[in-house]
Amino acid sequence: MYDIIIIGGGASGMTAAIYAARKKLNVLVLEHESGGQTALQPEIWNYPGYLDVEGMKLMQNFKKQALDFGAEIKNFKISKISEKEIEENHKVFVVENEAGEKIEGRSVIIASGAKPRKLGVPGEQEFENKGVTYCATCDAPLFGGKDVAVVGAGNTGLDAASQLLKYANKIYILVKGELVKGDQVTYEKLKKEEKVEFIFNTETKEIKGDNFVTSLIYKDTVSEEDKEIEVSGIFVSIGSIPNSDFVKGFCELNQFGQIVIDPKTNATSKAGVFAAGDVTDILERQTVIAAGEGAKASLQCYKWLQSNH
Amino acid sequence: MAKVIVYSTPTCVYCKMAKEFFDQNNVEYTDFNVAENEDARNEMVQKSGQMGVPVIVIDDEITVGFDQERIKNLLNL
Repeated sequence: MYDIIIIGGGASGMTAAIYAARKKLNVLVLEHESGGQTALQPEIWNYPGYLDVEGMKLMQNFKKQALDFGAEIKNFKISKISEKEIEENHKVFVVENEAGEKIEGRSVIIASGAKPRKLGVPGEQEFENKGVTYCATCDAPLFGGKDVAVVGAGNTGLDAASQLLKYANKIYILVKGELVKGDQVTYEKLKKEEKVEFIFNTETKEIKGDNFVTSLIYKDTVSEEDKEIEVSGIFVSIGSIPNSDFVKGFCELNQFGQIVIDPKTNATSKAGVFAAGDVTDILERQTVIAAGEGAKASLQCYKWLQSNH
Repeated sequence: MAKVIVYSTPTCVYCKMAKEFFDQNNVEYTDFNVAENEDARNEMVQKSGQMGVPVIVIDDEITVGFDQERIKNLLNL
């Protein structure tokens, strides 16, 4: 029986594992896409202590640290979580995957992170991987010499555009409103590039193509006119949604599907279950924050175990 | 021994993970960098009907993405 089962191997999960392992707890990390969202970022400039680091390398360090202190890590895609009573007033938690494999633990930290939000427009699903992509790191190199659109001007979108500079012929950045929400430093750099064109006040309406994407239609929200741009690639960067499907009905979720936590203790509505990082209702989503939240959750979970088992 | 081909790009994280997995399991593979090799890119798109990487071809079976379970099964690992 594990003392803590940590669901998720990204920044918050691995940090929780480091802290739990150093407390000499029997801890198991169940990961599915190793390194989480951080590992997909090619260059991270704002993780304190590292002037410029490759996301994947940073997460490999997190993982090594967890393993070095004795955490166990297993590749496991969770489909269900439940609790069972083994004696009176004595509960344990059970996590299960689709193959029916079950693992039990005295406590759980849910750090399952988030996944890219989809546009939800016609053509998006049809052309996924046929021009529509959610990962610039993965796919920017495939659009050499082509015209592409990046939807979204937060840091993810601006980073996507920065990565595309090396490859694409022309990059449209479709911004929802008047303001670019990403870091000004990156925005300034992109504004200077000839091949980059920022289009403001846009609402993407449709993605068109034959075998692959050929164009994107957006509404100009000021003039109310529909406009079409011819592009072969569409990089969707409009935020993320929590990976909390398996949690439904188990502990409280808010209207966005995020796990509601006590901000001081990272406790969820279920005693013995804590949560950390992008899957929770925390307001900011950054690697350093996820790491901090993982540490908090782990230390609180340790205290809970001390007084409850 | 199965014939393994990987279509990848240098910055693709899942491509790196797939290749590491093959290395750790002593599986020989041929790697095509589709960022630079346009012929390989077209071949990949034709074989898999899509543009995502990695595309892993094991004998005749095509796997899009680093689907560890599927790859393990195909290689009898």
